[in-house]
Amino acid sequence: MRHGKGFIEQTLGGAFAFFRQALYDDETASQPGLLQSLDPRVKAASLLSFLLLALFTRSLALLGVLYLLSLILASLSRVPLGSFLLRTWVFIPLFSLFIAIPALFGIVSPGRVVVSICGLAVTEQGIRAASFFLGRVITSVSLTVLLSMTTRHFELLKALRSFGVPQVFVMVLGISYRYIYLFVGIVEDTYRAIKSRGGSGVHCRNGQRIVTWNMAHLWTRSYRLNEQVYSAMLARGFRGEPVALDVFRARGRDWLWLAGCAATIFVLVYAEVTLGK
Amino acid sequence: MATENVFECRNLHYAYRGKFPALCGIDMTVAAGERVALVGANGSGKSTLLNLLDGLQFADRGAVAYRGQELTEAAFADEAFASRFRRSVGLVFQNPDIQLFCPTVREDIAFGPLQFGVDQQTVAARIAELAETLGIAPLLDRSPHQLSVGEKRKVSLATVLISDPDVLLLDEPTAGLDPRTTTHLIDMLDAFAHAGKTVITATHDLHILEDIADRVCVFGQDRTIAGRGTPEEILADEPLLKANNLIHVHHHHAHDHRVMAHNG
Repeated sequence: MRHGKGFIEQTLGGAFAFFRQALYDDETASQPGLLQSLDPRVKAASLLSFLLLALFTRSLALLGVLYLLSLILASLSRVPLGSFLLRTWVFIPLFSLFIAIPALFGIVSPGRVVVSICGLAVTEQGIRAASFFLGRVITSVSLTVLLSMTTRHFELLKALRSFGVPQVFVMVLGISYRYIYLFVGIVEDTYRAIKSRGGSGVHCRNGQRIVTWNMAHLWTRSYRLNEQVYSAMLARGFRGEPVALDVFRARGRDWLWLAGCAATIFVLVYAEVTLGK
Repeated sequence: MATENVFECRNLHYAYRGKFPALCGIDMTVAAGERVALVGANGSGKSTLLNLLDGLQFADRGAVAYRGQELTEAAFADEAFASRFRRSVGLVFQNPDIQLFCPTVREDIAFGPLQFGVDQQTVAARIAELAETLGIAPLLDRSPHQLSVGEKRKVSLATVLISDPDVLLLDEPTAGLDPRTTTHLIDMLDAFAHAGKTVITATHDLHILEDIADRVCVFGQDRTIAGRGTPEEILADEPLLKANNLIHVHHHHAHDHRVMAHNG
């Protein structure tokens, strides 16, 4: 009897978990909270400004302040801190550390030796470079995850319009977002049907055949759906130039928030410049 | 005064990819304000006819005309006619997942009027009013994939009713609905018809015929119209319904077997 999950089950399980997470994010984004109450365009612009500051700063302390700010904002927006930290820290050690580790050593970053490990010198400049790299990654990821967890995905897409992205592109993204859930549902149902008929103990080669066949079937369905959706759009007056509902209205609190963010960024930059001298 | 014909189909033929026939010589007229049901088994060509009536597909042979204007690709190349036609004729697809293609219910309902150039404030006001009438106000900011089948059907109807069309084409509107939602939907269609609008419904649900139609066209397996009449006449014509797979022959056999077993 087989106990372990097969490759197919693991892959599909991962995909379903991702989409469940996306749904969960939409729930978090619908709850009352500081960032949730802001106009998505204002929120995206302000968090993007903090992100740019994190990328261009030359101060580790400022990176620390920005990271702390992301935690405070998460807390004020009632984002579950455990889930937030998990999502921002899980992949960073995996990927960023691999990239940052060589920078610690004198071969890559020559300078004053702090300690020697197995004959390899760890330099002060190396530690600083690796810390900067990790700090920038974690702060950027935190700000991005914060934006994603406090903004409903379709609002985020619509906010792209304010950054000059053409309406047709935003609309295609919106339709893709809508149908990806439908296809995930179809895949989930198909997999459940396979499991109910053949059990989970499908042989690897057989499993590959089933997956390949299902991919082809899904492609055909999506192609057919594409034609039908286009018909549905035509039936409702679409003539090639989409017009979408403008749902965003910037209010007083949005302008106040924007002014607060601009002041914070000014103070941080001023502090870095004056303290850095 | 003679009633104007909204649709007129003459010897209509249509085949998918030129080799899979879907309609084989349909002759039919629909008068303004009429309620017509297209009844037939799966694959009898009802949905194809609705697509032709909505100018989404075009006849291989024969013609379909809307208020005297033949529906051809050339006719839809004329912006003024296309816009006028799309405002006047609304189609609710059988599969709500085709009908609802926007990320939220609100945007889906707004899609039609916005394409026709209705201003944002008017659209927002109409959405609020329609959502209240259909009881879908709490669904407006949800994504269509989060809705039940009944909710999707109501929203699908809203996406068309928002443009206040003169003609409503419905493809299997009660498929997959529970009896309560079906009744609610029939009430909505009834209100629409009472406003003098034309309603053409494709269905194989015989239970709702008397509620949704004044006239019925039965589609045969040969993709022609096998019978026409009032709902009462059609429902009374058992041989016609049996011949076109619209009643449960199997059920009667099972019943006969049970009676035979009981009688020993």
